Amino acid sequence: MLDKNFKTLAQFLLPALLVLAGLYLAVQAGGAVFPLILSAALAYLLNPMVRYFEVRGIKRLYAVVGLYAAAGAALAAVVYLLVLFLSFEMESLRETWPLYARQLEAFVLGLNAKMVTSYPMLSGLNLPEKMNRLLAAGPAFILGLLPMLSLLFLVPFITFFVLLGGSGIIDYILDHIPARHSEIVLHVTSRIDESLGNYLRGILTEAFVIFLIAFTGLVLMGINYASAIAIIIGFSSLVPYLGAFVGAALASVVAYFQFGTFLAVFKVLAFFAGIRFFDDWFLQPYIMKRAVKLNPAVIVFALMAGWELGGIWGVVFSIPVTCIIKETLAIAIELQETEFQWKPAPEPTRISIPYT
Amino acid sequence: MGIFSNIYDEGTLRKIEFLRRIRLFEGISKKSLIHVLESLQERTYLKGETIFAEGDIGRALFIDFSGKITLTKLNPETGKAEPLAEVAPGEFFGEMALLEEMPRSAGAAAAEETQVFMLFKTKLESLLFSYPRIGVVIASQLARILSARLRARTEKASASD
Repeated sequence: MLDKNFKTLAQFLLPALLVLAGLYLAVQAGGAVFPLILSAALAYLLNPMVRYFEVRGIKRLYAVVGLYAAAGAALAAVVYLLVLFLSFEMESLRETWPLYARQLEAFVLGLNAKMVTSYPMLSGLNLPEKMNRLLAAGPAFILGLLPMLSLLFLVPFITFFVLLGGSGIIDYILDHIPARHSEIVLHVTSRIDESLGNYLRGILTEAFVIFLIAFTGLVLMGINYASAIAIIIGFSSLVPYLGAFVGAALASVVAYFQFGTFLAVFKVLAFFAGIRFFDDWFLQPYIMKRAVKLNPAVIVFALMAGWELGGIWGVVFSIPVTCIIKETLAIAIELQETEFQWKPAPEPTRISIPYT
Repeated sequence: MGIFSNIYDEGTLRKIEFLRRIRLFEGISKKSLIHVLESLQERTYLKGETIFAEGDIGRALFIDFSGKITLTKLNPETGKAEPLAEVAPGEFFGEMALLEEMPRSAGAAAAEETQVFMLFKTKLESLLFSYPRIGVVIASQLARILSARLRARTEKASASD
């Protein structure tokens, strides 16, 4: 009996040691692992497209190469259009920036003077100095983002090889566990894949639709820097609830300085409130129908925890990771109920009625 | 032609042709069978490997693509698994798992190297949602097959009474 127990323990020893060694290496390697995680995430997002061609008879290698060629061409077109739009806007921003900066300074100074006169205790806030510090920190923040540009080349390169490998890792694991457990492992992975995949595809579609609506609306209202603002809205929409708020804040500031009236700000706010309702009532119920449902409180907690753990990338990955945790918990509870029969399954009808 | 055969995977065409012959997918067009194939998981079992044991919770329907599978039932008196039936390529088993997650009533093991397709409940639900026409065909075929198997069992039970 003792010998059998030892054997059972011994067979898990090597895999457990390998997993621990892998985790230790990942922690020690730190930043080097990060592009790998990003690549794995990107490969996961692109895999359905490769699979689409694979089930239609195209060999995986050619499907991946074709996808990269098409994505490269599409990306080049998008970058060209963006540069075209943004270069006009950047040029105009460069020309008008001194005026806007003076207006902003005058606005903050005026607001500060009014507030300090009415509420003297607010003088401690020292708003003008804070604003100057914020404006000075801007270029440093942008420079700090430059090292991330290397990811633009590294991530697609690693992703290519991850995509070529396909489901090789899962197959390898399945080949080295008792065959009887393949069904449950595939059940768990397909459940997580289903809900996480639906969530990610849903949120990407949602962000793109919001970008398009915001861009069209801002252009029609004649707001300056419409494409730049719409791009920021599109990206911030990847974080639930953030897109419309960021858009409303940015576009309101631009509208105020451009038109100098609160009516313009009111129009912008009404437009973004419309986007928020459209998103809540029409987009989400349709796009996210089959995705994991996350409570807004859980989303806020996940975003804060993500920020604490991994900064901006922690925020980006927080929601997908929360989806995985939620689905895993749901599966664990279901397994307890089915495998250990915590509670009897309800009968769909009175089964004592004979078969007729 | 040479380049085309390099790019094109003949195996996929064979799989689609194979799925056309499965009764569960009868009535689904060849073009739509691509979506069915997309929802299936492939797995190879070596000779003697247990696919599932009697009493395990069922979660997938198995379609035998190649190789033979033996279904076994435990004899309560001897405590040994006795062969119940043999599944040949083109046949399927474990369809109850698509309806409810209940313990398997028999065990299954590969009698030789066997390739199977597995259809999980989540994937069937996804098919029903995304491609209702395909989902409805599978659901109605499933109901017919279950009804036929239930009728056969009832008739066998009444004959033995």
